[in-house]
Amino acid sequence: MNNPITPTGFAGARRTFGIAAAALLWAAPVLFLAAVTTPAQADTITCRPIYDFCVEVDGKYPQDARFLTSSDSRGKHMVDIPSQSVTYLIDMPARKAVSIPRANVHPEAGGTVKVDTAGSGTSSYALEIEGPVLRFQTDNAKVRVLKVLDRPPVVGPIGMDALLADRIEYREGIKTYTPDAVAIDAIKAWKKPLEIEAYFATWCPHCKMYMPKLLRVLKDANNPNIKVTLVGVPKNFGMEKGPWEGKNIQGIPAVMVKYEGKEVTRLGALESSVPEVEIAGIMNAIK
Amino acid sequence: MTRALRIAAQVARILLGVIFVAAGVLKSLDVAEFARQTAEYHLVGPGAAALLAPLLIAFETTLGIALLLGWRPRLAAALTGGLLVFFIALEAWGLSHGRTEACGCFGAYVKRTPQQVILEDLGFLALAILVVFGIGTWQAGRRRLTAVLTAATAVVMLGFAIASPRLPLDPLVTSLKTGKTATDLGIASRLPEEGPEGTLVAILDVTDPVSKVAAASLNALKEQPVPVSVIALTPSTEQEQAAFLWEAYPAFDVIPMDRGLLKPLYRRLPIYFLVREGRVERIFPGPRPPEADLLSSKAS
Repeated sequence: MNNPITPTGFAGARRTFGIAAAALLWAAPVLFLAAVTTPAQADTITCRPIYDFCVEVDGKYPQDARFLTSSDSRGKHMVDIPSQSVTYLIDMPARKAVSIPRANVHPEAGGTVKVDTAGSGTSSYALEIEGPVLRFQTDNAKVRVLKVLDRPPVVGPIGMDALLADRIEYREGIKTYTPDAVAIDAIKAWKKPLEIEAYFATWCPHCKMYMPKLLRVLKDANNPNIKVTLVGVPKNFGMEKGPWEGKNIQGIPAVMVKYEGKEVTRLGALESSVPEVEIAGIMNAIK
Repeated sequence: MTRALRIAAQVARILLGVIFVAAGVLKSLDVAEFARQTAEYHLVGPGAAALLAPLLIAFETTLGIALLLGWRPRLAAALTGGLLVFFIALEAWGLSHGRTEACGCFGAYVKRTPQQVILEDLGFLALAILVVFGIGTWQAGRRRLTAVLTAATAVVMLGFAIASPRLPLDPLVTSLKTGKTATDLGIASRLPEEGPEGTLVAILDVTDPVSKVAAASLNALKEQPVPVSVIALTPSTEQEQAAFLWEAYPAFDVIPMDRGLLKPLYRRLPIYFLVREGRVERIFPGPRPPEADLLSSKAS
């Protein structure tokens, strides 16, 4: 039997080439479609401010410095320090802070910003995490992001405007509360002298929820017959000397309502409390 | 010994017995919370507290049963008094160190201040002293039977306390039930705008490593085309929440809430529930979020 002598090596290579060419022909449209339909690497992220955090720069708390978090890119945040020429993109998975030119940050409604990260990366800084505190050092500043409750507390009497200027969480908190208009009108119409004495703590989460509501009510009512005294208490106020002593304060916030020099009652001061309704009710009872 | 004193001692015995049985049973419904509260005194660590909690519960209930059955009532009352002295000392120590949270003496579902707890315990101690000195040599008949029942209580309560976290008791002891509104649950102000199919609420203990896994699953869920908004509430502190944010990269809001407000909603964490049109529609016990359920509900 004659075996035909065929150039098997050549035939094999031809077959392989043919299969590869066919596969490429089939794959080409698919690859093309994938290329045109797959979104490019996202280089714009949206960040919204979180007022539970504050930004410390060289041991100080710049009034408008904000911490923002991305709602569309996981583990990405932003630190905005208006006095600096750049903002910082915090990339938690990469454990770094990257400077972003201000021109790349586009403010939108509600404090939200769109950040174009395409031109970022001119400078990057290592992130350090110490429990709840995030820290990095730029070329010219030491920056820390921490919970507002962990800031050194306000201790002693403080005016409402000074408190609002100092604490971003209170300043922003009053914006989100809408008091009952009828109760506000009743408080506005109050003609007799009344004192409201509030003992609160900037380290206390309950105060952070309640005090902005009370401040908003007092601001909206803007009644000169109501004398407001705000007193910040330290962490161990039970042991420390200060204006909170002898007031029988078992918990904070403690908001006393005084009429003709005497304490008539204390507000509920719970997270769910509606201070304007309570104050209007007290006024109605005193009348 | 006067007859009046003996009668008073019998009344005190029964009263103290009922109180101790009630206290033990209530604690056994949420052993983890009792262990947490025990650990908060910082006399023992969380691990030791978790071991100690079922033992204390069984011991307390057994003393209560012994008093009720009249098995060695003077001994039972003396041990009860000793336990009360220990509780009072513990509470006073906590109070002097600035502790203000109420203790877990009646489980997580009855809240009192430490001062109230001390006053109550002093009252109970007076009852125990009355039994010790007023009951004389009385004890119930059928001594062997009462002994067996007391021993059986110890064994059963210890077993129940150990098994309790895994038993399906949540509907009986928590206020999280289908049909309840977010307002009823005290969480309405914390929920985001609902998605077309509602809001998936996760309650997470962010200090528990399981929460990192839960966060990863919730993140994955958010990437799916599931039309629900997602939020996590946590009884952990603000600082713990911050640390979680840096480590777990949640793609959803994690909101710290007062433990007193959240605790009535769960026994074990994590737990998930779907709120739709302001009402709890479904509850999904942990440990993983109900991705498959939500996806299938979307498909159906």
